[in-house]
Amino acid sequence: MTIRAGLLLRVALGAALAVFIGAGAGAQTAVPGQDEMNIGDQPGYQPSPAEEQLTGAYAKQEVFFRTTQSPGTIIIDTQDRFLYLIQGNNRALRYGIGVGRVGFTWSGLERISRKQEWPDWRPPPEMIERQPYLPRFMAGGPGNPLGARAMYLGSTVYRIHGTNQPETIGHAISSGCFRLVNADVIDLYNRVPVGTKVIIKQAVAL
Amino acid sequence: MAGTKRGRLKVILRRGGALALTFIISAFMAGCAPTTPPTPAVVAPAVSADQLVGKWGFAAYHRDEDRDRTIKEAKAQCNRPYVIAKGPNGGLMMNLADQRELSELVLKGGPSGETYLGPPGAGGTADDRIVSNVDANSFTTVWVDPDNASRYGTSVYVRCGAKRSA
Repeated sequence: MTIRAGLLLRVALGAALAVFIGAGAGAQTAVPGQDEMNIGDQPGYQPSPAEEQLTGAYAKQEVFFRTTQSPGTIIIDTQDRFLYLIQGNNRALRYGIGVGRVGFTWSGLERISRKQEWPDWRPPPEMIERQPYLPRFMAGGPGNPLGARAMYLGSTVYRIHGTNQPETIGHAISSGCFRLVNADVIDLYNRVPVGTKVIIKQAVAL
Repeated sequence: MAGTKRGRLKVILRRGGALALTFIISAFMAGCAPTTPPTPAVVAPAVSADQLVGKWGFAAYHRDEDRDRTIKEAKAQCNRPYVIAKGPNGGLMMNLADQRELSELVLKGGPSGETYLGPPGAGGTADDRIVSNVDANSFTTVWVDPDNASRYGTSVYVRCGAKRSA
């Protein structure tokens, strides 16, 4: 992913104004590279409702969040594995997320360019190399690795999407996309329109 | 007279009892004895291995309403085809579920006319797929094993390159 210096500056300025008090309350600060999850996608796997129920810091919750960004903006904190949906009045909805592995993290400013219910999945070539028995295309539906919803980020290949592997939330696992459990991604999907501003940053600059 | 009748009756009862006992023992012995399973009838598959050899666009779906567009997507996947070659024993070199290495699989007919694709042996085992909708340029498979069927759904294969006439 190309890092755009101008956008980075804007993101850094925005981040400098943001104080993550909510994140400090019980949040697990991840050290990049130390909590990578070495598991592959599990196409077709359908987690139980109990597995999909997040607890603790990664459960969806409203938190105190001071920022100059407008309500409706999404801020993704890849270091702490949180996605914030700004509510106004110093409040935000916070969702636990899975992020890209080292080498697949990126930052920038994008907008949601497209929304898709039950997105289709095309395993990347390196995955087909490792697991040649996989179909090259899997139509969306329960058990699909992209989960229940996807929100595409600008013209990039990256998305905010669901997952059929809830245990990966809070970890570095993906190739640069941001994953939420299906209940959370459906909730977020219903709250944000196409055109929503999405700020992706790797570290909080206080 | 009466004594003679009573004597005959005793004989009949004795013989009947012995017969009943023999029957019970025989039934018990039959239950204990190793039973020979009936030999499954070998049914010739309706599909030949040659029909499935080639390069295929390979896609899958879980909901029937996705079938048509999945077939279109399978065609679009010919840039990374699934290759099925003929095996040394006349079978088909393919992957079993979750197996990276190829195995030589064979086509097997089922008693109700279905066609199985799997390791040599009886048809309908967990490692088998049911093959259906076979024509010159496409076919469909579903795993017999419910877990595999749930995870991988219905697979469609569409021939890449020059199409064959039916």
